[in-house]
Amino acid sequence: MDSASLPFDQALFPEGTKRCKLKWFLLWIAALHGPLTVGAIAAVLCWGLALNVTNLNNNYPFGLWIAADLGVIALGAGAFFTGFLRYIVKIDELKNIVNFAVVIGVVCYAAAQGILGVDIGQPLRGWFIFWHANVHSMLTEVAFCITAYFMVLLIEYLPLVLENRQINKLGFFHGMAHHLHEAMPAIAAIGVFLSFFHQGSLGGVPGVLYGRPFAFREGFLVWPWTFFLFILSAIACGPCFTILITWITEKCTGKKLVKRNVFDILARISGRLLAVYLVLKTIDTIYWIALADKAGAPFSSFYANQPYGYWVLVLELGALGVIPMLILLGEKTRKNENLLILACVLNCSGIFMNRWIMTVQALAVPVMSFDKFVPYIPNWVEFASTLLFVWAGAIVISISYRYLPIFPQEKELNPQ
Amino acid sequence: MKLDRRTFIEILVGFSAGAGAGIMLTPVNWKIMDDMAIWSQEMWPRYQLGGLKGKLPERGKVTHEDTVCKLCPGGCGITVRKVKDRATKIEGRDGYPVNNGGICLLGASGLQLLYGPWRVPGPLKRSGKRGSGAFGRISWEEAIDEVVHKLTDLRDKGEAHAVAAILDSDRGTVPQLFSRFLKAYGSPNFIRTASDQDTYELALNLMQGAEDSVGYDLEGANFILSFGSGLIEGWGSPVRVIQAHSKWRSGNGDRARVVQIEPRLSNTAAKADNWHAVRPGTEGALALGLAHVIVKESLYDPMFTANHTFGFEDWNDFTGKIYMGFKSLVLTEYSPQSVSDITGLSPRKIVALARAFAEADRPIAVWGRGKGTTSGSLYECMAVHALNALVGNINKPGGVSTRPDVATQPWAEVVQDATACTCFNMPRVDGAGSSRYPLTKYLPDRWPQVMDGGNGGIKALLVNGADPYFTTMDSAAVAKAFEHIPFVVSFSSYLDETAYHADLILPNHHYLERWEDMPTPVGLHKPVLGLLKPVVSPQFDTRHVGDVIMTIAKSLGGKVADSFPWEDYKTALKETVGEKWGALEEEGFVEDANPASEGSFGTPSGKFEFYVTAFDQAGMTMRKDEEYLPHYAPIKPEGNPVLYPLLLVPTELMRLADGAVGNPPFCTKTLEENELKGDGLFVEINPMTAADYGLSEGAHATLATPKGKAKVLVNLTEGIMPGVIGIPKGLGHKAYDDYLAGKGVNANSLIGVVEDPVSGLCATWGIRAKLTRV
Amino acid sequence: MKEAHHGEGDKKTYRYGMVVDLDKCTGCGACMVGCMAENNLPFRKDNSDRTRSMLWMRVYKISNGRTFPNSDISYIPRPCQHCEGKDHHHATPCVSVCPATVTDYSHETGIVSQIYTRCFGCRYCMAACPYHVRVFNWWDPTWPKGMKKYLNPDVSVRMRGVVEKCSFCYHRLQRARDKAYAEGRAELHENEYQTACTQACPAGAINFGDLNDPHHKVYKLKKDPNAFRLLEKLGTNTKVYYVSSKAWVRKAGNAYTGMQGDVVIPG
Ligand SMILES: Nc1nc2c(c(=O)[nH]1)N[C@H]1C(S)=C(S)[C@@H](COP(=O)(O)OP(=O)(O)OC[C@H]3O[C@@H](n4cnc5c(=O)[nH]c(N)nc54)[C@H](O)[C@@H]3O)O[C@H]1N2
Ligand SMILES: Nc1nc2c(c(=O)[nH]1)N[C@H]1C(S)=C(S)[C@@H](COP(=O)(O)OP(=O)(O)OC[C@H]3O[C@@H](n4cnc5c(=O)[nH]c(N)nc54)[C@H](O)[C@@H]3O)O[C@H]1N2
Ligand code: SF4
Ligand code: SF4
Ligand code: SF4
Ligand code: SF4
Ligand code: SF4
Ligand SMILES: [Mo]
Repeated sequence: MDSASLPFDQALFPEGTKRCKLKWFLLWIAALHGPLTVGAIAAVLCWGLALNVTNLNNNYPFGLWIAADLGVIALGAGAFFTGFLRYIVKIDELKNIVNFAVVIGVVCYAAAQGILGVDIGQPLRGWFIFWHANVHSMLTEVAFCITAYFMVLLIEYLPLVLENRQINKLGFFHGMAHHLHEAMPAIAAIGVFLSFFHQGSLGGVPGVLYGRPFAFREGFLVWPWTFFLFILSAIACGPCFTILITWITEKCTGKKLVKRNVFDILARISGRLLAVYLVLKTIDTIYWIALADKAGAPFSSFYANQPYGYWVLVLELGALGVIPMLILLGEKTRKNENLLILACVLNCSGIFMNRWIMTVQALAVPVMSFDKFVPYIPNWVEFASTLLFVWAGAIVISISYRYLPIFPQEKELNPQ
Repeated sequence: MKLDRRTFIEILVGFSAGAGAGIMLTPVNWKIMDDMAIWSQEMWPRYQLGGLKGKLPERGKVTHEDTVCKLCPGGCGITVRKVKDRATKIEGRDGYPVNNGGICLLGASGLQLLYGPWRVPGPLKRSGKRGSGAFGRISWEEAIDEVVHKLTDLRDKGEAHAVAAILDSDRGTVPQLFSRFLKAYGSPNFIRTASDQDTYELALNLMQGAEDSVGYDLEGANFILSFGSGLIEGWGSPVRVIQAHSKWRSGNGDRARVVQIEPRLSNTAAKADNWHAVRPGTEGALALGLAHVIVKESLYDPMFTANHTFGFEDWNDFTGKIYMGFKSLVLTEYSPQSVSDITGLSPRKIVALARAFAEADRPIAVWGRGKGTTSGSLYECMAVHALNALVGNINKPGGVSTRPDVATQPWAEVVQDATACTCFNMPRVDGAGSSRYPLTKYLPDRWPQVMDGGNGGIKALLVNGADPYFTTMDSAAVAKAFEHIPFVVSFSSYLDETAYHADLILPNHHYLERWEDMPTPVGLHKPVLGLLKPVVSPQFDTRHVGDVIMTIAKSLGGKVADSFPWEDYKTALKETVGEKWGALEEEGFVEDANPASEGSFGTPSGKFEFYVTAFDQAGMTMRKDEEYLPHYAPIKPEGNPVLYPLLLVPTELMRLADGAVGNPPFCTKTLEENELKGDGLFVEINPMTAADYGLSEGAHATLATPKGKAKVLVNLTEGIMPGVIGIPKGLGHKAYDDYLAGKGVNANSLIGVVEDPVSGLCATWGIRAKLTRV
Repeated sequence: MKEAHHGEGDKKTYRYGMVVDLDKCTGCGACMVGCMAENNLPFRKDNSDRTRSMLWMRVYKISNGRTFPNSDISYIPRPCQHCEGKDHHHATPCVSVCPATVTDYSHETGIVSQIYTRCFGCRYCMAACPYHVRVFNWWDPTWPKGMKKYLNPDVSVRMRGVVEKCSFCYHRLQRARDKAYAEGRAELHENEYQTACTQACPAGAINFGDLNDPHHKVYKLKKDPNAFRLLEKLGTNTKVYYVSSKAWVRKAGNAYTGMQGDVVIPG
């Protein structure tokens, strides 16, 4: 091959893989910087001019940001759950996607923390959550676990970096990567533990709000039922998100990167978990209706405020729950790539919707009888600063894909 | 070195590793983080507080000083908490005879008015067009010179009567100095801004022969029948009335019954035991209907009516001519059915109300629409007051009396020079005291309408304590009248609408910066004299208006100067108070016993006159017998009912000051979302009526009356009678500050003046209007 | 002073609270202004958006929802309810959620505190409070030139990005305690510690004191058969009681939105 026609940075590519010209790559990265800059401007406005630039208000202390935060962390569950399946349940096939799941996880968790950095009113004091920690607060639990887990994710990501063709040539880094690989099951186990906790705690965030009958749930020990439902819903959708992002990466690169049987394993597990989740969620909903009714808040009052009508419930549990579940459970439907991707999209949207409902709708429902319903629609600042992390994530994924040996099956699936 | 791929990669890797390690290891980032947090906690307010040192507002010795609030006619005693020389809080003064510790939201906002940047910084002279807001600072000497020159000029031309003064009150030393000044100078045009006092004083003069306004023993009464008075909204002395309300509500056996007559569910109506919505403007008919029942069922006080009243029964004069008495009038004209037809209240309710009122121990019928900022109909006032006479609850504890003042030292008579004497006896610019309105003292709403009462019009106007440009009805006429006055001087401490349209502003001290006396507040039945003391030193280059007026008088020289023998205002004040000064200065107030005694009336008959003989004495011959008696003489609202199918009535919000003082930011902040939204003012309308016009809650609409048009927002409420629109007074300022200017519309700009045929006062209670969606 | 109290099991505890007589409350708003003036609340050129306006004391206007002329209104002054909560799992709603221990329920006084300089603005406490008590500083507070002069040095001004709320005028308790201490007293008289809104209320509708102390007015008033608390069913266990002789008002205060058969609408 003529070395002059090879990309300038070819030496950094994973062994035996092909990548586009550096020029095109840089152009792609530059293109992502467009919307990223808009998002950065939005974030700077929040910090410079205070949060009055958003549509948040005293009725909606939580808005798009918190819903997105909870959503993105649930999607990131693909990382720890795939790790769990790979290293602890030992489904060996998943080694072909676990690396990418980690990359996606890093992006999701970084996004969650980034969004929170914009959301809080005094970001410079953000660390008070650790310094003045209140052990009773679900948010404290979330903060500690997420931060710890993010470090775990970075440690899981590190060997991928060290295995870069050039870095790996350096003996020290090579050895380090090797050792990290050895330790991976143990690290994954810590990650699983932490993740279960913070996914649950995120469920606890709305679930403990006993002043908000819409969100409040009874529970087990110190945890409201939402604690467990959040864990379950996160692991039911995380794998779908991993499939979805892998599929999108394949479409962007024009290559097959992972064998379909790997997708199928994840999809099957996702479908079953989703089924379990939906059963429990339905029981929870019925119990909640009865409980609220007994306490004097008729169920109908929760859905009396437009746009939050009963359709919300139908959409969340039906269209974004039962339908993807059926697709994922059916062997034939699951193996149809179009249907599979549709199921993944529905499943992931369902998570977002659920997190929105549990935070924003929970605040939208007036509690005092003389309280008025106030509508809330996020404004561009909130959208742009939330999407900022999507663009940043795309950049991280692009760079990681280009330079790091993420997909073990890539060489096999794309012979030179 | 050639940059080949290999070295590029090596540099890249090496640099990244180095940078990563560097960032983690250096203490700089941790230090920055820590500093930023500290900065966000401590430096921030330090920076924000600019002029004040420290994290917190400056500390210092804490003191409390007592004075009197001047923001409304309420005259509450207040205590100002001071930290060093800063006033930091205003609270109600415990033990003060008017408000015993209570305060209202306006009074509690007083410091925003004191320290607000929209105070007039010092003497200002208009530099641009009138009303452009362009002023330049001048010295006090220049300012006073200007006034003296102008006034000397007019006097030299024999036009002293072309000078007028508009004040908020005619009682107390400062208004008296103005009135004295005009008298010595040679002008009859002392004008007091409009209020229900105008009519009540006239009614009391006619019926009781008293040169005074009314005082109600609200605390002592146990049945309060209010004819549209906004007792809770801010009627009379607001804090005092709210405290009386709490007394009425207390369950310790003293519980009083309150009945509100009003077309709208005001706060007073909501707090009342019964709310009767009658058609607006028919309150007087209801009063007479109640009188009918009381007379018919012999529920009136037979002793009082027999011994202390005149004109209750039919009577004949020495010629033998028979005159109709009040009794016959109400019996023939105001049966429950006919009154029901007028008012819309069922005959059953009328009868029940009349019985309840008359059978109560100490019933009081209260008159004065809303906060009492409009004059109102004379016959309506008389009809309501007649109820008090029927039950004989006049000049008694728990009853109605004339409002007394603490006795002070009278001033020496003014000695007028020839010019003053001639000019002083010229007709007044507003027509008050003329043959047409011989008994009326001031016609504040009339002068902008006539502008010239046969006196040639105002050539120089002095305004103190009032904001007639804003508060007078029919804003367009007022603006036009101002345009015709070549010289307007305001003594206002704030840049209010009148000051904004003045040629010269000679700012008075703020009420917390000055000495002044506060006579018995409106509606109070016991004599109280309060003292305003300077609590803080003047914040701006202001001067006491009393001193300024005296300086002007002294500069005019001659007899005018002679009428002001005092060295300065404080001397005048001390001398006026006389031997009570020591107690007044020490305590902050002095009290007297109410001198009124049952059955002493200054009328020609020496009795309470249902049939007013003073009309004839004043040369006002009436056409019919009933015109000498309280009767129902409907005041028709302006406008064609076909073009304007709805009725617009001005309303009052208790969190919105609608007088001479602009609403401070704190008060505006308390307005509800369906009262003010952004700059949009809401009008109240019944959902049924709104449906007819396709108006939904929050809709934008155009409100049009024969007097003007305005953009408003719609507030649907079941608390207002169908067909009626309520518009709150107090917004629509163009002057003042960014926190008030431009918000809402001035209700006065939509409502015109309908003159009471007998008093000439403004009897307007509403205007016809239409509302269209935009 | 705090250290001295540690471990003193027999330390006297107070439950400061309020009883607001809604029959007397006229909705005049003096309590709102009294509070703003006392506690250095900022104001803006346009405060008409209640969802962003800062009021520690907010007077709600409620209506019985009936048609003219049977309509009726009432006012409900609403400071922080200083919720006590039921037990460990149902502690004060806002206190248990705050991740940075910014806000605390004092078992000595029953007052829910707020340390503005520690709050980092996550607003979780606002989500937890069903009474819309907590307000966020959406803007930097500013005062027109000269107006800072009236600020109260006993209450720190807050910066943007933090949450604040009614403190039961805690600084007044401190002031009263200092005075009592200087005079060698351990006990405060009932009238020595009164909140600014109580003092401002011209109607005397707001009563404040120790709900535990049989000598205090509030002790008796809270037992009025017409007394109720806002959203009592939630179990927030508030320390602000209301008294109204009107049944529909009591119902409105106690009910959740949309409670069956309820006709309460915001005024
Ligand atoms: N407005 C307001 N007042 C407050 C407080 C607040 O927060 N706001 N906080 C209160 C508290 S907690 C405190 S501790 C006090 C502090 O009150 P002060 O003790 O008055 O404190 P500062 O004003 O900081 O400093 C006093 C002076 O010391 C001078 N100085 C600095 N270094 C030296 C030095 O080395 N030698 C000498 N001789 N002088 C030096 C400074 O220039 C300054 O003039 O204020 C109290 N008063
Ligand atoms: N740059 C700079 N920094 C300084 C100083 C300086 O001069 N310059 N001075 C230093 C000095 S001397 C001092 S003392 C410190 C003071 O520093 P801080 O102790 O931070 O003092 P404050 O700013 O008064 O803030 C105390 C906070 O507690 C709240 N608070 C009030 N009462 C109570 C209560 O009873 N309970 C609770 N939980 N909260 C309450 C207040 O509202 C306020 O938010 O600052 C120090 N830092
Ligand atoms: S009622 Fe009038 S006098 Fe009394 S505090 Fe209020 S504004 Fe001042
Ligand atoms: S009312 Fe709200 S802010 Fe106050 S203690 Fe209760 S939950 Fe906390
Ligand atoms: S906003 Fe402040 S007080 Fe509220 S929960 Fe967050 S850190 Fe705590
Ligand atoms: S108790 Fe104090 S802080 Fe709370 S509302 Fe009343 S005045 Fe404001
Ligand atoms: S000050 Fe008193 S009467 Fe006025 S609104 Fe507040 S509680 Fe009600
Ligand atoms: Mo200090």
